[in-house]
Amino acid sequence: MTKPYFEPDIMRISWGPQHPMSGQTRILLDVDGEKVYRIIADLGFTHRGIEKILENRTFLKGIIPMERLVMADTPNIGLGYVSAIEEALGIEVPERAHWIRSLMCEMARINSHLYAFGLQAESTGYFPAVFLWTTVDRAVLLELFEELTGARWSFNFFLPGGVHADLPDGFEDKVIEGVHYLRRRFQDYWVAMVENAIFEMRCDDVAILKPEDAIRLGATGPVLRGSDVAMDVRRDEPYAAYGDLDFEVITESACDSMARTKVRFREIGQSLSMMEQIANEIPSGPFRTRVPLFVRAKAGEVLSRVESARGELGVHLFTDGGMNPYRVKINSPTLRNMFVFERMAELDEILVADIPVVINSIDPWYLDSDR
Amino acid sequence: MEKMNALFTLWEYCLTFVYLPLDLISKWVTDMFNLSMDILWNLPSYSIRFLTFNAKPLLQVLIFPGLAFILVFAIIAVWFERKFLARAMLRVGPYYCGKRSGVLQVFADFIKLFMKEIIIPEDIDWFFFVMMPVLLPTIPALSLILIPFDQNWVLWDVGSLSLPMFFAIAGLAPLIPIFAGWASNNKYTYIGAFRVAYMYISAEIPLVLCGAAVAIMAGSFDLLKIVEAQRNMWFAIPQFIGFVIFFLGIMIEAERTPFDIPVAEVELVLGWRTEFSGILFGFTMMAEYVMFQAWTLLFITLYLGGFNGPNILGSTMYSHIFWFLLKFAVLVAIIILLRCVFPRLRMDQMLRLGWFYLTPLAVLNLIIVLAMKLWGIY
Repeated sequence: MTKPYFEPDIMRISWGPQHPMSGQTRILLDVDGEKVYRIIADLGFTHRGIEKILENRTFLKGIIPMERLVMADTPNIGLGYVSAIEEALGIEVPERAHWIRSLMCEMARINSHLYAFGLQAESTGYFPAVFLWTTVDRAVLLELFEELTGARWSFNFFLPGGVHADLPDGFEDKVIEGVHYLRRRFQDYWVAMVENAIFEMRCDDVAILKPEDAIRLGATGPVLRGSDVAMDVRRDEPYAAYGDLDFEVITESACDSMARTKVRFREIGQSLSMMEQIANEIPSGPFRTRVPLFVRAKAGEVLSRVESARGELGVHLFTDGGMNPYRVKINSPTLRNMFVFERMAELDEILVADIPVVINSIDPWYLDSDR
Repeated sequence: MEKMNALFTLWEYCLTFVYLPLDLISKWVTDMFNLSMDILWNLPSYSIRFLTFNAKPLLQVLIFPGLAFILVFAIIAVWFERKFLARAMLRVGPYYCGKRSGVLQVFADFIKLFMKEIIIPEDIDWFFFVMMPVLLPTIPALSLILIPFDQNWVLWDVGSLSLPMFFAIAGLAPLIPIFAGWASNNKYTYIGAFRVAYMYISAEIPLVLCGAAVAIMAGSFDLLKIVEAQRNMWFAIPQFIGFVIFFLGIMIEAERTPFDIPVAEVELVLGWRTEFSGILFGFTMMAEYVMFQAWTLLFITLYLGGFNGPNILGSTMYSHIFWFLLKFAVLVAIIILLRCVFPRLRMDQMLRLGWFYLTPLAVLNLIIVLAMKLWGIY
């Protein structure tokens, strides 16, 4: 950064936790007038000790607190833990269960990205209309979830060895119906957000994160792909049914806040096409292999990676031969992206008005960063 | 003996200093008593005479361009904004107060704001903190006295001074948010106050230039004559550039949505209003609508033909007021509904708009008007 002509008169603003847009965190901003010189993210307001809770529960009971990490995206988070357990216990999963898992993960990804759009629109000063439209459209997915799992929100549907239940009759048709409805709605979102002139002015060239910086600072998920780095665990280390599905890894070369939003937009298109593929080509067979309720794992360690809506989630599971995990280390995407957010003021010129735009382009879920 | 006499005279002379005031006071008291008894006795006839002489100004101050009009407009505009923008959000809006229409919700909110405790933070400037929100609706309301609703329905007819007078009065308004934001002793209000300062400066210059162009075209600064000059054609047509600039300008002055930068909720909590609570906050909310009203009325007067319109109500005056209010209602509805299609501009983009686009275009508009005047096209 070039040295300014005069020393800035720094004023420190505490942005949150009691702020309309901050969420459950506090961000300290060193500002001089409108310009932000330093961002300090003060995380930890929602620390619940989930890693410690997991140590005191059996493998199966641990799935429930684990899903509380990201409520908008429970299948992806749950799958990270469940696949770690399966690897530790050496359980085979039937093919159909893999496909059902992928279906749910993609539905949850759309749900989570819709929530992110709503917040992104609101952070540019949009009237809450777009936020409420996305909320209404999420109901389509929630009803599908309800029919499949019995719950609209936290499902606890994935078990070591498969899933809780098979697809209900005619569920595939409903999925395709929902896909068609959401495709139609995404045209509206594209017009309301990406093609809206003022939205474009607010997001274009804001908080540019160059590819080398994104890699150096450890960005992940749509933030990394928005910086033109094609990295996706679903393609690099296929899990569940992703090896058989046809999709592309979305990247945008603009590297700004708009690129991150566009990545989410286009990823939803991929997720919808994957939902369609799964509904059309899902193999028949058993959906679950029986696993005893209390099992002991051999001593060792296992690392599982999944691509959640916010980025790569790593679950490092240590076992010591008991019925509980010895230690679970969760590498959560929001924490990694928050490190990137903290460096934004050094990488690009940020104004106070850009802070909500930038932070929602990262799409944070603070509960996720405070395990 | 003569000495005694002189002493006595001196004594009497001294006594007059006591008697004279006593005499005067007693006289004054009896006079005042008589006068007040007279007033009390004749109060009905006096008040009738006062009202017959001042009926029209009183009516104007209390009802039509004055207090009742401002309050009713604020209530209807808030209700319209909440109810109709709720439809854009797929909601029904206020529903329970006042049955399905939710009309009474505004009154309920006002009562709530009135009854709430006013929280006054530590280390603030008491005088400015309490005075400014109270003063805030007054200044734009004051500028309403200049707006002509008919040839005979102007509250304060200052002749050829009315347009400059409007800009002078309305130009005072941004000072108050700046003082209020500074007095609140809060970092958010501080940033919000300076945003107000930047924004109004960049908007007011194009507005004044457009007003000058209108005055040149009408040949007078008198708002009544400007309206008269639009009897055949609205100035929106020959001065289309000025029309667009002024439209953006009133949205900036009234802090409507693409330009509600000083109170940007997601950035600055509530900008310069952050620390106000209870009825002080109510005053700041009301001031926003009064400001909106004053500038919109001026916009109609300058560009949309003012009160001109066909005589449909029999009386010229009533139909003039009807047309004026109809134009006002349509314009307000358009500006309010624009809120659901635009996000907010950033401060630097707003300044760029004001200085790089609006001001040069306003100068261009002025030049075009001068040329039209010079070659006698208009």
